Amino acid sequence: MSDAYSSGRPSSPGRDGMALLGRRTMLKGGSGAALLAGLQACAPAPAALVSAPPPTPREPGKRPLLHPMRGTLDQLIDVKCCIRPLRAAGPNLAAEIIGNALVVHNYGHGGSGWSLSWGSAEVAVGKALSVLPREIAVVGCGIIGLTTAVVAQRAGLRVTIYARDMIQRSRSFRASGSFTPDSRVALTEPAGPAFGDLWETMARLSWKTFRTYLGLPGNPVEFHDSYGLSDTPIEKRHYPPDPAITDSYATKGVPVQNSEFMHLSDRIKDIVPQAVDVPAEENPFALPYAQRSSQMHFNFASYAHTLLSEFFAGGGRFVNRDFHSPAEYGQLAEKVVINCTGYAARDLWRDRTIIPVRGQTGWLVPQPDANYGVRYKNVSMLSKGDGVVVQNNNPDIGEMLGVGDSMELPDRSGIEEGLRIMAPALVLKGA
Amino acid sequence: MKRTSLGLALGLGFLALAAAGAGAALAAAAQPAPRLLYSESQAAEGARVYGMRCAMCHGRQLEGTLETPALTGKFVANWAGRPVGDLYDYLGRAMPQFAPGSLPPEEDAKVIAYILKANGYRPGGAPLPADSAALGRIDLPAPGAP
Ligand SMILES: Cc1cc2nc3c(=O)[nH]c(=O)nc-3n(C[C@H](O)[C@H](O)[C@H](O)COP(=O)(O)OP(=O)(O)OC[C@H]3O[C@@H](n4cnc5c(N)ncnc54)[C@H](O)[C@@H]3O)c2cc1C
Repeated sequence: MSDAYSSGRPSSPGRDGMALLGRRTMLKGGSGAALLAGLQACAPAPAALVSAPPPTPREPGKRPLLHPMRGTLDQLIDVKCCIRPLRAAGPNLAAEIIGNALVVHNYGHGGSGWSLSWGSAEVAVGKALSVLPREIAVVGCGIIGLTTAVVAQRAGLRVTIYARDMIQRSRSFRASGSFTPDSRVALTEPAGPAFGDLWETMARLSWKTFRTYLGLPGNPVEFHDSYGLSDTPIEKRHYPPDPAITDSYATKGVPVQNSEFMHLSDRIKDIVPQAVDVPAEENPFALPYAQRSSQMHFNFASYAHTLLSEFFAGGGRFVNRDFHSPAEYGQLAEKVVINCTGYAARDLWRDRTIIPVRGQTGWLVPQPDANYGVRYKNVSMLSKGDGVVVQNNNPDIGEMLGVGDSMELPDRSGIEEGLRIMAPALVLKGA
Repeated sequence: MKRTSLGLALGLGFLALAAAGAGAALAAAAQPAPRLLYSESQAAEGARVYGMRCAMCHGRQLEGTLETPALTGKFVANWAGRPVGDLYDYLGRAMPQFAPGSLPPEEDAKVIAYILKANGYRPGGAPLPADSAALGRIDLPAPGAP
């Protein structure tokens, strides 16, 4: 089908197309890192500051006073399921000509879309700016599209977002929402060594930009302590390649073991807090072993509100529209379009290199007083503004969990099981 | 391959804002428009397939959820004014999302017949063909269009 689809790629572009094509090689080959230079976004000064809750007092040798976290079933108010758009080679940031429009892609961020949103937008907008547009279109209004639109506005462009759903109904709102920039973002072999540098630039820029949202009204971005708890001494888990497995992404088109995933977080450990052992006398939990790290997270409702407010205040326009083929991008009034359609790009752009990775989260009634996170066995809980998020992951398969699975219906029993597993870990010492 | 417009792209929910342009009307007069047809029994079979393969996500009444699109209302506005073949092809390659392309073509056509019926399109004897090219020549009218 879709004659429209194939006819959207002209063999002989018109004059505008030619002009754009002249830049095509550069855009394709251009390193994102180079384009990032000099494009630092500057956040507007906040109108009013409210103070975040005071940090938990932490004195050496003393246990911090924690408010107990409730993990009972009666608190469960939502289970959300979502698909991570994993591309083996990393996010697609290439540019191409459709009709006489330049389309810059910005999709396929796996389990790292929130975390990489600012850096990735910087790369995509940098490519769009190279043809000197005054106005651009952004297709998609998940975390990638909305951030891209704001970055484009900050670069002085007039922006229209076209999307079938605003961020609140997008897959982005079904994430868990922590700073996890190297979660299922690429596979080592197909992405190649160059991806590491691009990733690092995007991750560092994102981290710094998120920091400009700390302490703003509604706490769109926050830090909490996150405790890893255990019955036995805690050791970092490694997933060495299994020599018995001869297949790989190269033969199967999907990763077949955990060791194929690219891990890059060590590159930014100078800025991202690492886990430290909590001495027994400082461990507030009944379980004997604990590690603590400071975790940055995003409060979806407040964060989306903050970004949308900036977008509309900056004259941004939102058009509700469903695209049926890439050719329709070429028919837009704007001749530069940034494509931020996430997992949907798999069908819309026939990008079969997008691998679905299913994941789900449970949500408990918000518990602002229990302002921390807990991880125990395969389960994690984190107290956020819009609820306490619960995840029940299988530790034995690591990042392979959900790979190839595009079933997007939530399964409540998995979350219920997670809460049962977590129950002993929520008990505080002396309780 | 010429398509004939039976309705207007603006099917806003069940409100037909139909006002066929003069050009389209002339074209229609020159070449009889292929009619959008499906049969009652096809729609009934479609309801059965829908119940087994689609309802788990899109809802028993096609009502959708916050996350999964409903197959009434905005859905029709979205697909009206373009070839039914687009919808048929989309179903065939992208749905059901958990096993894309797993329904035989006849079942895709049945499901579409059911969706048409649920959206107020009247049945008309012959079944909707499981044929991408044929459906590519029929535009989906706005649901309230004559
Ligand atoms: C369980 C789970 C937990 C996660 N946790 C984290 C985390 O902690 N940290 C993190 O960084 N990432 C996390 N992720 C990953 C993150 O959710 C994704 O990387 C991110 O949401 C991708 O955003 P996006 O904007 O590209 O796509 P989407 O959110 O899917 O947005 C796509 C947009 O495009 C629009 N669109 C799509 N198709 C069309 C069309 N045909 N016509 C018009 N509009 C269209 C949609 O309406 C939407 O507005 C998690 C993912 C899952 C599943």
